[in-house]
Amino acid sequence: MQNAINALLDSANQILLGKQKQIRLAVCCLLARGHLLIEDIPGVGKTTLAHTLARLFGLEYQRIQFTSDILPADMIGSSVFDAKNQQFTFHPGPIFSQMVLGDEINRATPKAQSALLEAMEEHQVTVDGKTYPLPEPFFVIATQNPSHQIGTFPLPESQLDRFLMRIELGYPDSAAERLLLTGRSRHSLIDDLAVALPPAQLQRIQKEVLQVYASNALLDYCQAIIRFTRESPSYPAGLSPRAGLALLTAAKAWAYMDGRDAVIPEDIQAVLAAVAGHRIRAGHLDAAAVVAPILSQVAV
Amino acid sequence: MKTAAPNQKLQFLLLGTVGLAVLPHYPHLPPLTFGFFAALLGWRLLGVRHPAWLPERRVLFLLLLLGIALLFTERQGIFGRDAGTNLFITALGLKLMEMKRERDSCLIVYMAFVAAATQFLYEQGILFGAYIGLVCCLLLTLLIAMNGLQHPIAQALKLAVIFVLQAAPLAAAMFILFPRLDPPKWLAIGSETRNRTGLSEMLEPGSITNLGLSDELVFRARFDGPLPPPHQRYWRGPVMAATDGKRWVQAQNFERYPKSNPQVSGRPYRYTLLLEPQEKNWVFALDMPAEFSPPLSRNANFQMITSELHGQRAAYKLTSYPDYNTGPLSSAEYRDAIQLPGTPSARVKELVARLHGYDAAPELFIKSLLNHFRRENFRYTLEPPKLDANPIESFLFDTRAGFCSHYASAFVYLMRAAQIPARVVTGYQGGETNEVGNFIQVRQADAHAWAEVWLDRRGWVRYDPTAAVAPERIEYPLDVSRLSPGETIYFESASGEFGKIVSLLKQAGLIWDTVDYGWQRWIINYNGTHQANFLAGFGIKGSRAMLNWLGAILIAATVMLSLAILYRRRRKLDPALRIYVRFCGKLARKGLVKGTGEGAKDFAERVKAALPEHAGEVDGITGIFMNLRYGKRPDPKDIEQLKRRVAAFKP
Amino acid sequence: MNAPGLKMKDRFRLSRFVFGEKASPDPITLNHRRIFILPTLSGLGFAFLAVLLFFIAFVYNNNPVYLLAFLLAGIFFLATVHTFRTLAGLVIREGHGKPVFAGGTAAFPIHIDNPTPLLRPQVRIEGQPETELALPPDSRNQIFVHRTAARRGWCEAGTITLYSTFPLGLFRAWSPLRFNMKILVYPQPAEAGVPLPPLSAGPNREGTGHQGSDEFYGLKNYSAGDPVRRIHWKAYAKGYGVLSKQYGGGSGGELWLDFDETPGRGTEERLSRLCRWVLEADQAGLRYGLRLPDHRIVPADGALHRQSCLEALALHPL
Repeated sequence: MQNAINALLDSANQILLGKQKQIRLAVCCLLARGHLLIEDIPGVGKTTLAHTLARLFGLEYQRIQFTSDILPADMIGSSVFDAKNQQFTFHPGPIFSQMVLGDEINRATPKAQSALLEAMEEHQVTVDGKTYPLPEPFFVIATQNPSHQIGTFPLPESQLDRFLMRIELGYPDSAAERLLLTGRSRHSLIDDLAVALPPAQLQRIQKEVLQVYASNALLDYCQAIIRFTRESPSYPAGLSPRAGLALLTAAKAWAYMDGRDAVIPEDIQAVLAAVAGHRIRAGHLDAAAVVAPILSQVAV
Repeated sequence: MKTAAPNQKLQFLLLGTVGLAVLPHYPHLPPLTFGFFAALLGWRLLGVRHPAWLPERRVLFLLLLLGIALLFTERQGIFGRDAGTNLFITALGLKLMEMKRERDSCLIVYMAFVAAATQFLYEQGILFGAYIGLVCCLLLTLLIAMNGLQHPIAQALKLAVIFVLQAAPLAAAMFILFPRLDPPKWLAIGSETRNRTGLSEMLEPGSITNLGLSDELVFRARFDGPLPPPHQRYWRGPVMAATDGKRWVQAQNFERYPKSNPQVSGRPYRYTLLLEPQEKNWVFALDMPAEFSPPLSRNANFQMITSELHGQRAAYKLTSYPDYNTGPLSSAEYRDAIQLPGTPSARVKELVARLHGYDAAPELFIKSLLNHFRRENFRYTLEPPKLDANPIESFLFDTRAGFCSHYASAFVYLMRAAQIPARVVTGYQGGETNEVGNFIQVRQADAHAWAEVWLDRRGWVRYDPTAAVAPERIEYPLDVSRLSPGETIYFESASGEFGKIVSLLKQAGLIWDTVDYGWQRWIINYNGTHQANFLAGFGIKGSRAMLNWLGAILIAATVMLSLAILYRRRRKLDPALRIYVRFCGKLARKGLVKGTGEGAKDFAERVKAALPEHAGEVDGITGIFMNLRYGKRPDPKDIEQLKRRVAAFKP
Repeated sequence: MNAPGLKMKDRFRLSRFVFGEKASPDPITLNHRRIFILPTLSGLGFAFLAVLLFFIAFVYNNNPVYLLAFLLAGIFFLATVHTFRTLAGLVIREGHGKPVFAGGTAAFPIHIDNPTPLLRPQVRIEGQPETELALPPDSRNQIFVHRTAARRGWCEAGTITLYSTFPLGLFRAWSPLRFNMKILVYPQPAEAGVPLPPLSAGPNREGTGHQGSDEFYGLKNYSAGDPVRRIHWKAYAKGYGVLSKQYGGGSGGELWLDFDETPGRGTEERLSRLCRWVLEADQAGLRYGLRLPDHRIVPADGALHRQSCLEALALHPL
């Protein structure tokens, strides 16, 4: 199984140049059945990443561009009166797909945002009292512009918790930049990609990830980190119990990708910035700097 | 710090404890002073519930004047034990009236400590010690309870007891090792309570108590042949013939009695007497000394006297004979030997008559008298009750408890009441035998008093009424270091259904006596000499050495306690982690220190980069460690392997 | 966690005894370097008592009194140990204090952990005689050190001294601690009464025309920060839980709180007025923005927004 994953990562790295770490985290997030938030300025490849992943996993892909006037129904779908049958039929919206890219989510009003987030949380939507399950696997990649831009509604802290990870893409380095400038269009490359890991296999992996073992010593470390964030005066809010669980699950997925059946502290450290950064210091963009004291001060 | 006066419960406890501390002063305080104090304490107690009843400033001043006036009328001055106590208790009483802040309460507690301690200047019994110890615990409890705002008193008491127990070893070390020096002359106000050592020139029932408890060596006697049997080991000292009913002294002018040489017979005992330094020029010879050489001489009472300077160790050669006849009695001797301070009372006469003192031969009277001691419930004890104005009668008819001097003096008194010449002999009896060296060691604890009766044709004959009551005292020498001296023996009641209870009581009594003896020996009589002897056994000689040892012990205690505090218990480490820490230690010496938050795998990468030649070992060790610590199925056997590999790892 | 070794010169610096060592954000473990101990006045009295008894014993050659004197001396010695132990090993960390309004009391949270198996009774804080802590074994505790927040801006905790005289009151062990702890002090809100400035047209109205701020849109579960005014009390009374009324867009009109247009003499008075307005606007559930001479906060609502407005007011240059 690791071979398949490695092949998948390799292919993705061909498309997005110089973003190995971010791609790995994104895949990890997917394997851990979590949703991903990418926060960065426009044009660094957020959409490309989402598109690439959808392609490689063979997932049905939909992109929703959020604007300030988008309504929940625009995403979820609505009941439309069918004149022929003389009754309402439900027309599912773009959210009914295995991979949803919610672009510029902070442009939407809180109302629209929460519609998406509730769907993410519950893996189902309710319209007119009827519940429609979302497809499996279901994976949301939301992108967000830095919050200081005008005319945005930054996601509230309570909603950020719904995303397993938040990553930044950042500018490519100069070599990658050169390749981007000279090479083929990324979009045409994506179209050429073959499915590396079909959905059935993905679902199996997602189950296996949960079987990855966490020893007592590791759980001690995990708890020490959580306690540190709660007690350290540098963080306004500590990690919630849900965040602690998310951290462990992400670490399990990370260990799985490394081909191990047990989590080690390095796994936790690898995913910490992405998992914890946006939960303990919402406004702060540099997640690595936010978690640096944890990594250096909490004893392994 | 500046909290208000302690709460009511604490105030009651404080005042109650102060009362307990002062109460035993009752017998030796002038009644007025004690009454003054009691009144103030009572007033203060009322004031706890009704603060308004407490005196205001002006009244306080009047009370102060009253206290001074009382002190003045008692005319004791302000120095010395009694005067000091008096002054102190008055001051304590006055201070009670002014208990406003915590600091006042604190001062009162301290004063109560002093009040409790000064009790010991009057009375040093073990029960007393226990009582004062209890009071001190309560005072400590008060200090603890007053310091905390939320301490329940029971908890404070527990803490106080813990404190005392923890401080006890330190106190014991200081007590044993702090050199006992005599205070300088100008400070010697308290000499009235100082112990005298050695037999005295005067016998007063009770005065031998202290002697009986001291294991100070008096002399050793090394025998050329076999040792005399215990019942013949009477070492003769001064003979007391004159009495005023309470105390016995040597007869005036006894030196002028005509000296006679007793006829001796039986097996001679030849021995060398090694006398420890003595205050007097007495030499304690076995009855009856017959052969001796200067500087020894024998006085008219057959006591050996040396003309040498006392205060030095001396050795004398002597021969004694167990059987002897001292011959006729001179008229002066006779007069002295039947002298009584007055006519005996009707009770005494009735007793003598009942025992056939007036109508039978002296031997018969002696026998019935000894039987009387044996049959009636007389008992032998080193802690006899106090005897009042007429000690002999009180002893004979009321208390019936005493030790050798009581028995000997009462015996002689009754003999004289029956017109039989008799006198008290003091000296030592018994002694500890040392089979190896064939000698007998006699200590102060062996001091004894017995009686001599002059009988026709036999001369002075020794009778020991103590032996009638406590034969063990005679037959088995007292081993001071093992045996309790104050056996309480009931001779009459050991039969019948009470036997069991009596023997239980006797057991308890024996244990109690042992405790009491320990207290007497190790606390009360632990004086300079005793201390020097005791510590010399450990090779500690001289005050300086004692102080050095004391310093060393205190420093050691400090260090131990500090270590106990500074050494923080480490959390129990996972065995694998413990071995891994050792591995990290080896690398740390190479300058490769694992960071607090650095995982083992990351650390291994760093180490491999720095020490590529050890990459294999580092990987192996890290791999086993990670599997043990984080693995899904760690193999406990890997611990051994990890241990081996880490041991073999030499970066 | 282990502070580097002290130089000899520093070790005997007087300020260590009074103010403590340099402030640090790390947890502080109280050890022999941090804890000082000296006898109290009653401790000196106790020592004098022991000496007095010793003197009596010496003069009268009285062994029981000797024993008592030595016992008291032993207790005196042990008291140092016990008192020291009351503080030793405690781990102190600074907490995160909540902002206050000027004139209120700033409460600095201090975490005192007792990771040892010993109960630590009677731990007190200088200047707060009413706090007497008993720290159970293996416990984490939080206490508050109070300082009066006289003026807006940062209020610093300064030196916090833990001390204990447990158990006998003969010794006082203390440990002066310095933290970088600061609490933000908002300006004191002015008297209510001056009405809020009029609404102005928001700069950001596109696409919101059909959803005025009064237009009821739906209900959602109450979450912290929703204005109290929007709670659907009827639903609450019927037992549906706490629900908030949702209104469309919320940008029907925007309130700008402008420093330059605020009545009041002097900066402080204006800031006080603005502070009151921010509170009132928040209470009313309005969207409001703040304009200070060197700072501008775009209109928004909610607890976070209120906080950033108040912070801006508090940190306005003096």
